[in-house]
Amino acid sequence: MRPWLRAHLKRYRLPYLTGIALTFVVSGLNLVSPLISGTIVDRVIVGGEKGLLWGLLGLMIGAIVAKSLIRYGYQMLFEHVSQDTIRACREELFAKLQRMDFGYYDRTKTGDLMAHMTGDIDAIRHFIAWVVYQCLENGVVFLAAVAALFFVNWKLTLVMLAVTPFIARSTIGLSKEVKPTFSAIREQFSRLNSVVQENIAGNRVVRALAREDYEIGKFQAENEAFRQRNVESAAVWAKYIPPIEFFSGLLPVMLILAGGVMIIRGELTIGQLVTFNGLVWAINQPLRMAGWLVNDIQRYGAASDRLDRLYRLESVLDERPGAVSPAAVKGRVEFRHVSFSYGDERVLEDLSFVAESGQTIGILGPTGSGKSSIGRLLCRFYDRTSGEILLDGVDVRDYDLDCLRAQVGVTMQDVFLFSDTIEGNMAFGRPEASLEEVLRASELANAHEFAKELPEGYDTIIGERGVGLSGGQRQRVALARLLLKAPPVMILDDTTSAVDIETEERIQESIKALRGRHTMFIIAHRLSSIMHADQILVIKGGRIVERGTHEELRRLGGYYEDVFRHQTGAGALAPSEPARAEGAARG
Amino acid sequence: MARNKYDIDEDLSQEFDAKSVRRMLGYLAPHRRRVAVAVLLMIVASLVSLLGPYLFKVAIDDCIPRKDVRLLAVLAAVLVAAQAVNALCLKIRIKVMNDIGQGVVYEIRTDIFERLQKLPFSYFDSRPHGKILIRVVNYVNSLSDLLSNGIINLVTDLFSLVFTIAFMLVIDVRLTLICMAGLPVLAAAVLSLKKRQRLAWQDMSRKQSNLNAYLHEALSGAKITQSFARADENQRIFSRLGGMWRDSWLKAVANLFLIWPVIEIISVLGVCLVYVSGIVWLKGITVGILVAFIGYVWRFWTPIQTIGNFYSSLVQAAAYLERIFETIDEPAGIEDAPGALALPAAEGRVEFRDVSFSYEPGRPILRDLSFVAEPGSSTAIVGPTGAGKTTIVNLLSRFYTPDSGSILVDGRDIQGVTIESLRRQTGVMLQDSFLFAGTIMDNIRYGRLDAGDDEVIRASKAVRAHEFIESLSAGYDTAVNERGIRLSMGQRQLISFARALLADPSILILDEATSSVDTETERAIQKGLGELLKGRTSFVIAHRLSTIRNADRILFVDRGRIVEAGTHEELTAKRGAYYGLYASMRSFD
Repeated sequence: MRPWLRAHLKRYRLPYLTGIALTFVVSGLNLVSPLISGTIVDRVIVGGEKGLLWGLLGLMIGAIVAKSLIRYGYQMLFEHVSQDTIRACREELFAKLQRMDFGYYDRTKTGDLMAHMTGDIDAIRHFIAWVVYQCLENGVVFLAAVAALFFVNWKLTLVMLAVTPFIARSTIGLSKEVKPTFSAIREQFSRLNSVVQENIAGNRVVRALAREDYEIGKFQAENEAFRQRNVESAAVWAKYIPPIEFFSGLLPVMLILAGGVMIIRGELTIGQLVTFNGLVWAINQPLRMAGWLVNDIQRYGAASDRLDRLYRLESVLDERPGAVSPAAVKGRVEFRHVSFSYGDERVLEDLSFVAESGQTIGILGPTGSGKSSIGRLLCRFYDRTSGEILLDGVDVRDYDLDCLRAQVGVTMQDVFLFSDTIEGNMAFGRPEASLEEVLRASELANAHEFAKELPEGYDTIIGERGVGLSGGQRQRVALARLLLKAPPVMILDDTTSAVDIETEERIQESIKALRGRHTMFIIAHRLSSIMHADQILVIKGGRIVERGTHEELRRLGGYYEDVFRHQTGAGALAPSEPARAEGAARG
Repeated sequence: MARNKYDIDEDLSQEFDAKSVRRMLGYLAPHRRRVAVAVLLMIVASLVSLLGPYLFKVAIDDCIPRKDVRLLAVLAAVLVAAQAVNALCLKIRIKVMNDIGQGVVYEIRTDIFERLQKLPFSYFDSRPHGKILIRVVNYVNSLSDLLSNGIINLVTDLFSLVFTIAFMLVIDVRLTLICMAGLPVLAAAVLSLKKRQRLAWQDMSRKQSNLNAYLHEALSGAKITQSFARADENQRIFSRLGGMWRDSWLKAVANLFLIWPVIEIISVLGVCLVYVSGIVWLKGITVGILVAFIGYVWRFWTPIQTIGNFYSSLVQAAAYLERIFETIDEPAGIEDAPGALALPAAEGRVEFRDVSFSYEPGRPILRDLSFVAEPGSSTAIVGPTGAGKTTIVNLLSRFYTPDSGSILVDGRDIQGVTIESLRRQTGVMLQDSFLFAGTIMDNIRYGRLDAGDDEVIRASKAVRAHEFIESLSAGYDTAVNERGIRLSMGQRQLISFARALLADPSILILDEATSSVDTETERAIQKGLGELLKGRTSFVIAHRLSTIRNADRILFVDRGRIVEAGTHEELTAKRGAYYGLYASMRSFD
């Protein structure tokens, strides 16, 4: 048994062992009614002792009522223990997954994780609730029966046990061969999960491109493979289970043949033979069950191997011992010769800059130049490859992670909202915030206007990822979410790209009002978003190629000036119109 | 639209009833023959197993007293043969039952997945995705055992019950009737339990669904959780939902497991009744009859116990099946009209005639909207966020159906053409730039599956994606996924732009296609766009003036109406709403 499972199971040792003890009581009680039944036939019906009838029937009813109630009791005990155990495992894994680094999430499919957290965990539940006690029960019954038979006649017992090596061989064969098939089933289950999950998440793209048939084809392939894996697994049972059944079925044969011969030779009495015959099921049944139990054990083994992988996960961002967690930071940010590679791609190269507390830093640059990575490194979603990132003069790696992220907030380009109410989404970072505070943040983000118009206002539930809202509305909810939390350092990554210009202007006003109190990084393509910044960095190919204020950069006549000229209409597209007459569209 | 979130139990629109059972059995119908084979094999096997006690009796009564070792050996040989037959039956049965079970699961899952492909956006928008996922994958899985082993055991048990009753009737009618007196009591007990069991399992499946929905969202949104340092709060929610599932599960099994004590207690009372009546009350029952009859009484109750077993898995499965059937029966909302024809290769004339639309009654999004876009023309749709711009193009692709009015492509009402043919010709580049797990090449090719590599590359060159793709270490073979950061938002947009373009539609809709793309790249795309749009009717939703200004026609939409329409020059000269927008851009300096 895996250490993680054992640790949880240990806490329920008492109820679990009680349950197992009760199963033995029930096995004992199982013998009672055939015994009474036999006695009634022998003594009451054949022997004519009618006076015994009522007592015997009362005994039988009592035994069965007791048995069925005890059985109900231990079944519930096992259910309790197994539910509590898997709940503990699930919560432990959930806690672990919640703290995995972003790199892990970049590599891992949600569908895979869902398969782990549902199917694999259920296999553990089945193991605890059923397999363990079945093994014990069958084992004890088998050993008890063998001991009893040895006592009656050891020779015949040995003869009968002659079949066990064959059964053992098949069981071992099954055990070895079936495990890979279960692993294959579990893996295929993951793939199936991922295909369906992706199809649901990407349903808009599928519809837009009329790719339904293609998706069905893709799904069918995984669905068919899943069926195949199951059929393959069944083929292994079909190979080993029948021989096990056959050899255990030989027990009565051995009994008749060897027992008969021994009686003829005078080594055994008929009474002893009948005793053997009465106990043959107690040997037979466990041996037949052995195959199926091994099967279930291996099913559990395959699932727990997979869960092991989750348990072994280590976030690459593990905190250093003695991490600091100040209540509030001033917000001075410094990058010293920072480089960052993602896989084998160099994203940032030797980046150095300082943002004094309360300053606004604008960041501009081509698509894919590494702008967003600056924020990600500052929040420690990833770790820089070399150099130093300091917050208030302390390396970000020396902060307690939760504390760091409480101090540095970011709105991400890819807006993720939860299927919750608008209010719930805005209060995500501060669940205890009052409605007034939520409304204030919403107004700052210019979300109030549309939010109050929704059918149920702030109580309107929005779909997963906020799919019911337009792109601009989503961005504003995400912005309100950050503004409500209002950490000392804020990174606004392309926060208003899908917002119309008038709204964007109002949002800029709100953001300007925060200057001086919060250190802000604004990443944008629209110059109107960043032109008032204290310092503007132009990032190209992972390096800072230009830096300065709006005026300085315009005078420089480089990338910034070029973008400016284009956005104010002086670019190549509208040579006919005078630059001054143009508004500042965004690119 | 009633929306659902992780901690709201789902309503059930479809109850499990006799019709659902028939429907479930319908999935077995194609496997009729194999079911029959499996049942037959089980009967053979159980007959063979009856041989053992009989041979044992022969051995004790005949062979041993006569010291006949040869006969003993013959008996043993017969038994060995019987066991071999039994093992063979078992081998075939394992295979057959598994084939059936997996086959049925495969078909149900296919049905539910195919239905999902027909469901409208609103279905996916109005509930957590985890709740949909669990129906397709987990719920269906839990049916396989019921549909193979469960049903075959049921049939076999019914057979053996009938046989047993027949034997009992032959022995003594009165005793048989007394023995069966327990059955109505059992039926009454089961019926009185049924409702509670059903409700408890339904509740369990809801709680399970809630937990899964939350888990799914928490995993998809793990990055947001971390950036807001909210893991502890999430852990509390997860724990609360997990606790609710655990409680509902325990309550459900507590109800379900009651069936066993009930059957056992009724059965022992029934057996006692037979003893008492046979021995004390009834006259004319001989010892032989009684002994023989009692041998069958227990056998009578064994199949009933296994039928009880089937019943309890049916109760569990019902809670899942009703969800599955509910999904399969979910109205598609938008379907091909009867007799719909494929839209022939479109020239691309688009007309909206008095189109009104609302997502929810009483909240109109579009009001009596009319306009015409000539083939090959470009139309820019501008207006404040939430004005209904995206809705207009969504209606054109028939993602939704207008409440009134009609939309025509080349003079044909789009309600009368097949959805597939319409969407193939109306390429939409969505705001949501979703990428599938796979290579960049695969993702672009998703637009047109038979496109060659060179065509893919041409499309990416056209949208200026080629350069950055080439700069990646694995180029077009770089693996990407749903929301990984390997690509920036702007790069994702370029890829989905290339994907839409590769589909080569005659009507191209660009909804914020390049909002996260930098100015330089955007300018480069603009330069090439003229070429790309040649011969295509295009609709562009954008906030960028450069994109808007070049359009043949600009529609200014506000609160669901077209407020102004015309070219950039006409509209600026008019000094109306568009000019206001334009002026606000000027305040930039």
